Amino acid sequence: MINYFKTIYQVSKALLQGMAVTGRWLFQPAITVQYPDEKLTPPERFRGTLVFDKETCTACNLCVKACPTACISLEPYVDPATQKRIAKVNWYQIDFGKCNYCRLCEEACPTKPIKSVRHSHDYEWSMKERSEMFVKWKRDPSPVIADTPKDTGTKAA
Amino acid sequence: MATELIRIPGSDFQTEEMILNLGPQHPSTHGVLRVVLKIDGEVITAAQPDVGYLHRGTEKLAENRTYPQMLVISDRWDYLSAMSNNLIWCLAVEKLLQIEVPLRGDYLRVIMVELNRIASHLVFFGTYGIDIGAYTPFLHAFREREKILDLFEEVSGARMTYNYIRIGGVMADLPEDWIGKCRSFLEWIKPRFVEYDILLTENPIFKDRTQNIGIISKEDAISYAITGPNLRGCGISFDLRKDEPYCHYQDFKFDVPTGKQGDCWDRYWVRIQEMKESVKIVEQALDHLPTGVPNAKVPRIIRPPVGESYAQLEAPRGVLGIYCLSAGEDKPYRVHVRAPSFINLTILQKILVGMKLADVVAILGSIDIVLGEVDR
Repeated sequence: MINYFKTIYQVSKALLQGMAVTGRWLFQPAITVQYPDEKLTPPERFRGTLVFDKETCTACNLCVKACPTACISLEPYVDPATQKRIAKVNWYQIDFGKCNYCRLCEEACPTKPIKSVRHSHDYEWSMKERSEMFVKWKRDPSPVIADTPKDTGTKAA
Repeated sequence: MATELIRIPGSDFQTEEMILNLGPQHPSTHGVLRVVLKIDGEVITAAQPDVGYLHRGTEKLAENRTYPQMLVISDRWDYLSAMSNNLIWCLAVEKLLQIEVPLRGDYLRVIMVELNRIASHLVFFGTYGIDIGAYTPFLHAFREREKILDLFEEVSGARMTYNYIRIGGVMADLPEDWIGKCRSFLEWIKPRFVEYDILLTENPIFKDRTQNIGIISKEDAISYAITGPNLRGCGISFDLRKDEPYCHYQDFKFDVPTGKQGDCWDRYWVRIQEMKESVKIVEQALDHLPTGVPNAKVPRIIRPPVGESYAQLEAPRGVLGIYCLSAGEDKPYRVHVRAPSFINLTILQKILVGMKLADVVAILGSIDIVLGEVDR
């Protein structure tokens, strides 16, 4: 009989102690962030969606080899006049359905000082269909040929 | 003389064994685990865990991944403590390559792994409360874990799949004033353990649900190769950080907490104490953080010589081991993962027998499995 009341006393004491802990936090400012209205700034090294700079890429294939899931594919640009590969990319495609966001491609990229393929701080992105996950960057070759034909010539030489 | 028919009360009840499927879609199995229970009324007579619903074949995937690429896959084994997985893969490959990591690299690894141990045990603390029926500890635990994840996000750029510890060192040195943030977090979490004790550890209802439930004897624990907090809960002081130090763990002073009889409450208590020890280790590592470069020189294309290596470490859930066989190419020939969750899960069929159905979730939660690691 004594044990019965003892248990009731202990449980209700523990209950009140627990409520006291909860109650103390009741008067602290909230730690949650109301997401669509407030947003946190991602840290410097944040690995968001990949962005690609189609003008600086040299089509060296190092990112393709570094990728663990083989989600990157590219085609180097072939000069139609000389039929030679130049250090430019024709198209570059990332399958974001496979991408791991692991930064191995960015680390492999030899372009300096800004990497051609790098992580941005973007994280709000949605697709409706699987085909939208293939993101393709196509370099328009005409300005290079029209504006600086000598430029490509010096690079080839 | 007529024979007297003696009627046993209740003998005409239609009783039969019932088979009950717990899972694979059950909120308290912590993932896709199926346990086939044979129950006689409320008492369990046999239990058969059925694993494999999350099998992704990462050991096979390793055979056509290069060594740095496999690091990304290793994040996905035990996703609550991805740093340990990164570290064990690096230790195994470094053993093959015979690389010595600089002291600063080792200390950074220790800091990350211990912080990850706190985060992982916090998830256990929170979800175990939910399993038992206490919702408040979950919110408290995830608030603290969020702070650790923020620290990791700053250092590695991701919140769960860090890919931070690399072969030969770490991804990059600490960002500026990271140490200050880490110290303020450690100061912040210390009084929280007192709150946890009030909320859950010393709560009589929680104690009634967990004490003397799911007792693992020392002999069983050893014969089933149980490791980690589950083993230490039985009273056996076995911790690879003490017994076979890696990453300069011998430099740090910490205790190995052990339980008394190996019930659910002991296993829970050991994890709470381990969090406090991890705080101590991180503090010591931050105090004595050596200067210099964190990374060793590693060839651009990693091509270890023909040979094999086995590395093991004390992950939050037990001894995590990697067996790696190299055929002299840039990809491993064979990789085997000794996953602690998987081996700890095998004891379930032994300790569930004779227990009540309501205790299944308490016992399953106290073993603390991660299905990503069980099935790999």
